[in-house]
Amino acid sequence: MRIVVAYKWTCDPEEATARADGTVDWSRAKPGLSTYDPVAMELARHLAEQAGAELIGVTVGGKGVGAPIASKAVLGRGLDRVVIVEDESLREAGRSELAAVLAEAIRHIGDVDLVITGDSSVDVAAKMVPTVLAGELGWPAVAEVAAVTGQAGALRVERAIPGGVQVLEISGPAVLAASADAAVPRVPGMKELLAAAKKPVELLELAALKVPQQNAVMTVVDRARPERKARKGQLIDTADPAAAAAELVAALRAAGAL
Amino acid sequence: MDFELTDEQQLIREAVREFAESEVAPIAAEVDRDHRFPSELVPRMAELNIMGMPYPEKFGGAGADNVSYMIAAEELARACATTSVILLAHASLATYPVYKFGTDAQHERYLHDMASGRRLGAFALTEPGAGTDAGAGTTTATLKGDEYVLNGSKIFITNAPFAEIYIVFAKTDPAQGTRGMSAFIVEKDTPGFSVGEAEHKLGIRGSSTPPLYFADCHIPRDALLGGEGDGFKIAMQTLDGGRIGIAAQAVGIAQAALDAATAYAKERVQFGKPIGALQAIQWMIADMATQLDAARLLTYRAAWCEDQGRPYGTEGAMAKLFASETATRVCDRAIQIHGGYGYTESYPVERNYRDAKITELYEGTSEVQRMVIARSYLR
Repeated sequence: MRIVVAYKWTCDPEEATARADGTVDWSRAKPGLSTYDPVAMELARHLAEQAGAELIGVTVGGKGVGAPIASKAVLGRGLDRVVIVEDESLREAGRSELAAVLAEAIRHIGDVDLVITGDSSVDVAAKMVPTVLAGELGWPAVAEVAAVTGQAGALRVERAIPGGVQVLEISGPAVLAASADAAVPRVPGMKELLAAAKKPVELLELAALKVPQQNAVMTVVDRARPERKARKGQLIDTADPAAAAAELVAALRAAGAL
Repeated sequence: MDFELTDEQQLIREAVREFAESEVAPIAAEVDRDHRFPSELVPRMAELNIMGMPYPEKFGGAGADNVSYMIAAEELARACATTSVILLAHASLATYPVYKFGTDAQHERYLHDMASGRRLGAFALTEPGAGTDAGAGTTTATLKGDEYVLNGSKIFITNAPFAEIYIVFAKTDPAQGTRGMSAFIVEKDTPGFSVGEAEHKLGIRGSSTPPLYFADCHIPRDALLGGEGDGFKIAMQTLDGGRIGIAAQAVGIAQAALDAATAYAKERVQFGKPIGALQAIQWMIADMATQLDAARLLTYRAAWCEDQGRPYGTEGAMAKLFASETATRVCDRAIQIHGGYGYTESYPVERNYRDAKITELYEGTSEVQRMVIARSYLR
């Protein structure tokens, strides 16, 4: 069995700052593994340990995703090898394009039985890539996956749904997006981190992959912050809680908030 | 010159921080309050290969460099100073002499278990009348047939009674002074060896530091580490490296205090604005951060020297002297920034302050470090 974990090496927006014009300054943000990807890796690791599967990390993106520290960070979390498409043209690529490149990388690996992703990426959080990737591959996509067991071609997937759990059986390859709390990631051991540099890293040229041309080009042309309404600064100044509550309700009604 | 940590050193910092924040920090206040040795963390640290980080994999260690090991000690201290000293006493003080001076048979019997963290170690040098003057110890080891017989006592022995393997220093030839001191490996349940009541201390309260007693304690002749008379040299060489660990511990404690102080300065409002907007507070934060950075650089430099096979005794003493005194000062300022709240157990800086003080005392007081440094300049 061959399991791919699609991960993202990117900066955490909490470490970025917003400039006055609404653009984001990422210069002081340190790149790292996207927050929910260790959860996907842990889920994949559980299945790989149980099924004796090979565990392969795949990532695509701009300059930096192929940095040695990026590979060591994920290989130290128990992956057997990584396959990377690093091309600066992918830095600002949309979800559809990234998913198309991921799909080609997965086809390049060949004989993949399952792709697992994190719940969402820390920087964009669009939650689209797993679905678009599944569409590219012609496989089913399942989001909010809480657990996965079984073998290639006979997977049993538990999916968190409002008010309960849905259990699915999947007879072929699939793309699963792990829920944010599907598993508690193990802290990497020192030996695992130190051995990471010895594991295989395959760098693929974007030009060598047969990624279909995108039919439409989407570009961010403008940004605007939401209009901020002036605060009224209305104080309710009374010692009687009941009177204060009544006054608050009246004020909210008058403002049309209730 | 390159001040960048290697990929592995950065990843080790992240991993140990992840462990420290998720499993160590949540129990740190309770361990301190209850004077409780956090036994549950030792197997976890063993599992993560932290307990024998700087020792080769063939001996059960992780095969990491000393800078990485110091980063790990620092990150643990940032969460809990007690936990870091459990590691340092085990790996730097107890395991190092076995690794460095042990025979193949001693490596086989002890080193794998110690470097892998399966068996905890302790280092027994200090005696009631022999602290800074470590050579003045009166514990004796007398050879009788194929056994040595130990008599005497030790105090302030970190990790006892939880440790299973003790490096014990005793005089095989008392007339020879320090040249008559030898080192021995003593196992926990050896008849004639007992452990007293743990001390109640100002800080690192979860770290157990009881006295040890030896009353006609028979140990096999092959428990001798190195040769007869090598004990003082073994102790001093071990402490040369151990001091870098205490420097790292001090850096971690100071970092915790600085983190707490900066967070508090941003949220505490007085005179209608966060106190961090006041110059009086800004200058304190600036001094704390600068001194801490200098302490960290000295610490990593000393560990780097050890990794490069260069002399590191003076560098380690400088790191320990500066980092420990910095930690006490930074924690003092952190309490000042917190005002009255900093004096209460509601905020971690009072624990940081109590924990910091020991770094100026153990593994050589600041005065001993100054002696070591001055000697290297005046010889």
